[in-house]
Amino acid sequence: MANPLKPENSIVTTCAYCGVGCSFKAETHKGRVVRMIPWKSGKANHGHSCVKGRFAFDYYNHPDRVRTPMIRRSIDDPWQEVSWETAIQYAASEFRRIQSQHGQRSIGAISSSRCTNEEIFLVQKLARAVMGNNNIDNCARICHSPTQFGMSATVGWGAASQHFDSILKADVILVVGVNLTEGHPVFGSLMKRRIREGAKLIVIDPRRTEMVTSPHCQATIHLALRPGTNVAVLDSIAHVVVREKLYNEAFVRGRCEWPEFEHWAALVADDRYSPEVIGPLAGLNPEDIRRVARLYAGGPNSAIYYGLGVTEHSQGSTGVMCLGNLALACGMLGREGVGVNPMRGQGNVQGGSCLGSWPHVFSGYRFVTDPEVRGSFERDWGVPLDDEPGLRLPNMFDAALTGHFRGMYIMGEDPVQSDPNQTHVIAAMRNMECVVLQDLFLNETSKYAHVFLPGSSSLEKEGTFTNAERRVNRVRKVVEPLAGYQDWEVVVMLMNAMGYPAKYAHAGEILDEVARLSPAYQGMSFPLLERIGSAQWPCDENAPEGTEVLHTVKFPRANGLGTFMLTEYVPTTERTNDQFPLLLTTGRILSQYNVGTQTRRTANSLWHPEDVLEINAEDAAVRGIHNDDWVSITSRFGTIRLRARLSARVNPGIVYTTFHHAKSKANIVTSDQSDWATNCPEYKVTAVEVLRIQPVLENVSANTEHLTEEVIA
Amino acid sequence: MSLHQSQSRADNANPPVIDIDRLILMANQIGDFFAPYPPIRRQEGLRNHLRTYWEPRMREALLAHIECGGKGLNADVIAAAQLLNQADAEQKGYYGPPKA
Repeated sequence: MANPLKPENSIVTTCAYCGVGCSFKAETHKGRVVRMIPWKSGKANHGHSCVKGRFAFDYYNHPDRVRTPMIRRSIDDPWQEVSWETAIQYAASEFRRIQSQHGQRSIGAISSSRCTNEEIFLVQKLARAVMGNNNIDNCARICHSPTQFGMSATVGWGAASQHFDSILKADVILVVGVNLTEGHPVFGSLMKRRIREGAKLIVIDPRRTEMVTSPHCQATIHLALRPGTNVAVLDSIAHVVVREKLYNEAFVRGRCEWPEFEHWAALVADDRYSPEVIGPLAGLNPEDIRRVARLYAGGPNSAIYYGLGVTEHSQGSTGVMCLGNLALACGMLGREGVGVNPMRGQGNVQGGSCLGSWPHVFSGYRFVTDPEVRGSFERDWGVPLDDEPGLRLPNMFDAALTGHFRGMYIMGEDPVQSDPNQTHVIAAMRNMECVVLQDLFLNETSKYAHVFLPGSSSLEKEGTFTNAERRVNRVRKVVEPLAGYQDWEVVVMLMNAMGYPAKYAHAGEILDEVARLSPAYQGMSFPLLERIGSAQWPCDENAPEGTEVLHTVKFPRANGLGTFMLTEYVPTTERTNDQFPLLLTTGRILSQYNVGTQTRRTANSLWHPEDVLEINAEDAAVRGIHNDDWVSITSRFGTIRLRARLSARVNPGIVYTTFHHAKSKANIVTSDQSDWATNCPEYKVTAVEVLRIQPVLENVSANTEHLTEEVIA
Repeated sequence: MSLHQSQSRADNANPPVIDIDRLILMANQIGDFFAPYPPIRRQEGLRNHLRTYWEPRMREALLAHIECGGKGLNADVIAAAQLLNQADAEQKGYYGPPKA
């Protein structure tokens, strides 16, 4: 069918959705985006796309978009539309007032993986150089912070060791806790291509996802483990690798710290990690654990891809270390076809991690407590910087409840909907005196905000994203910002209003500053990206056009060697009992994205109009639950209501839902358990009970603030 | 100088920055991770972690709780937290296995 619109203009840019970071030609007609055409020269997607990037772009022009700044003294007052200048001045004066009354560390900032690298870097600078503390965090705290921690500990950098195309040389693909065809569809298709060519697939996931069986995708082995037993199972695989001497001794002796290997081998080789012990605990056939170990170690090229099913646990960081240990022991790093690769849910999780939106490290994962590193930033920024780590996102909420944290700048995040134990988060938000929210829409968090600064979508600004393969790709302005400013310009205004002189002629100057202060980004610049399209960090004098595969010669650790961490299994305290006999785990679906702020405002919602609860027929039968019945799901933290869907994808004892729709309030029930190292929430394990209830009428929700969205529309 | 004498002496009347029960839980979780290491490395791993990742008021609250007996904390956490007070324990943070 002929396209009725003849686009007048097209600009190559990067998709705003998942961590694959596809390149698109955004076509415009009369100043409006009318088509997104996958760009065949895009090095991440080679001309492919999914239903989100291709079709779900209309949100940018949705009537719900807020186009005027707003303020209010109290969250009980109605919003008042004001000029940009008034809003910025109000935010700045409130932040300074709070600091003068409650101390320099009483405020902080949050950035988002939906922001560009330049914005993330600037928000970090806002906290450190302007607020004068290290209370800066980003939403990777609640998804991939364990990746940064666990991979830094073992292989030196919290980033994928491979480029995407590396999978075309893999013989064995080990997928742990990630649903590539739904969450990272374009990469999922690349994986299927390799499977069609004969690669073996191992899936470790409590659900029978599309990874396990779907067209062009059939797992050789599926370990449908019980949620919360990742570390036990990965240690048990390692047990077999050590006891059957399947490890690559030459690699470990040549490239790793041998004494640490010996400590690790002694731990996992203990009888308590034998498949015959761990199998029953995790609900697995011990022989399957042995087969996985033999297949992975046998390669010859075995590659690990993992996601939030590994990280979002009380032992999330330990789980990531298990994967690092395993790859090092089997020599599966440092060449094409192998590696350890975190799959990033949002477009710029990798960039958020690289660029210092963390309370303990500057860009490049370098500690704020390190005087030399800190000195380099102090010289460039012209102010003394705090030498102590700041509060992490969940710690900020905890500290808000005790009155020690009272003001927060949030760019592009919706912690009220996306963070766990929503009741606790709301109580903390209510305790704050000034919450400044910069977003496209009045999201759930806006109900507790005092200043709303209208944001710009990625179609309205200049910058870069770093995708899950470390590829830095240009985001280009396709249309003018609907509210007048690109997001980075708003941060610059706030910095100036708070008394710190900041001036950038364009976003490229921010990337230049990133390059000046971050060794792995040293060679990055807008001119380089114009010339070669995109580049994977590290990009420096040794690799002027970037690096596809990491760790080929040495690991980025002081002695250049990979190392092993002791990964004892410590069961989570969140466990089932008579009152809460089922385990709830959460995930995503192809057509929707994250909390749904964007995709729910597009026709993609026709594919997934609501979140449902997947429940095994056996568990449903004993509770008198039929397909499409309304059910209540109750945990120690709260109750939500969803429609039930009987599903063979989950085993008895396990239920599953997504969190794309605000009205489902899935995070009312999720627990306050978190990763031991990073406080990343344990979204993947919550003990619940499910009961059949009377049908819930739509619009019963008594949320008066919902009106605000309509008023703006 | 101890780094815990920093900011908030004036706030003594205030509650700790984060509810102490939550801090105890978090500290013991870190202790559980380092438990398989030999005692000296175990404590060093804990010390490095607390020093590098915990905001100073969180460390201060933990130490204040230890001064009052440290109820609920496991023994390694208590020993490691006390290392935070030693000036010679002031060293650069690091990733990876606890140094021997």
